[in-house]
Amino acid sequence: MDEVFKALADPTRRELLDRLFEQDGQTLTALEEGLPMSRFGVMKHLKVLEGAGLVTTQRRGREKLHFLNPIPIRLIHDRWVGKYAQPWASALSELKQDIENEED
Amino acid sequence: MNDEQPYAVIGDRGTMTVFEVYIKTTPERLWEAITSEEMRARYSFGVGTISDWTEGSEYSSAVPGVIKIASGENLEVDPPRRLVQSFNALWSDEVKSEGTSRVTWEIEPVGTSCRLRVTHDQLGEDANSELYGGWPMILSGLKTLLETGEDLDTPGSLRYAGA
Repeated sequence: MDEVFKALADPTRRELLDRLFEQDGQTLTALEEGLPMSRFGVMKHLKVLEGAGLVTTQRRGREKLHFLNPIPIRLIHDRWVGKYAQPWASALSELKQDIENEED
Repeated sequence: MNDEQPYAVIGDRGTMTVFEVYIKTTPERLWEAITSEEMRARYSFGVGTISDWTEGSEYSSAVPGVIKIASGENLEVDPPRRLVQSFNALWSDEVKSEGTSRVTWEIEPVGTSCRLRVTHDQLGEDANSELYGGWPMILSGLKTLLETGEDLDTPGSLRYAGA
């Protein structure tokens, strides 16, 4: 979990995650476009994100594609936000049932 | 890796999503958690999956008597390492119209843990995000179940628990 917070504590790395959120499965070449740093710099940031499990890669032919992996963030959410989601979700499902019953 | 259908980026999103999680467990226990109807239901919003888990067999996922969620074929079954399934979503008319996609489960032992990678690909252009949007909740629930033995409440699990 330390690695996740360290990885997120940098604006360039958050920008890279934003770009992957916008469009998943990008190459290094596509990701470095418009970033004010060298290809090597972007590569280093991607390595940190990979190390934290926030980015996974998959080879397709000659290309290496980067994907946003939201599960480490989901686990942080579950740890500190999960219990707040519970009453909210039950209220929502009750509301859904009420509405559906009214329609009958 | 099966490359017959190349990855393509279309619109805002590609035709493939990849999720990865490290779980402190053995490949055998992880395989069991994926293929046991009861265990599966505990981290999949109450949705159990029934199959005889042989290559070429069918599987069916549902909350019995409430809702059908998915069906498909077990294309590759290699316990406790690799499972490839075709995936037809059934929970609404919208997702039914999305057609067949593919889900690959890969288990890789890493020290005393396992890396689980779930690749959901062969999705249609601009696929409905409902098709793959549940994976982070399901996979974090799977990790919690295997590591703590406890169920994880998620908006998805609570929604169907009351159904």
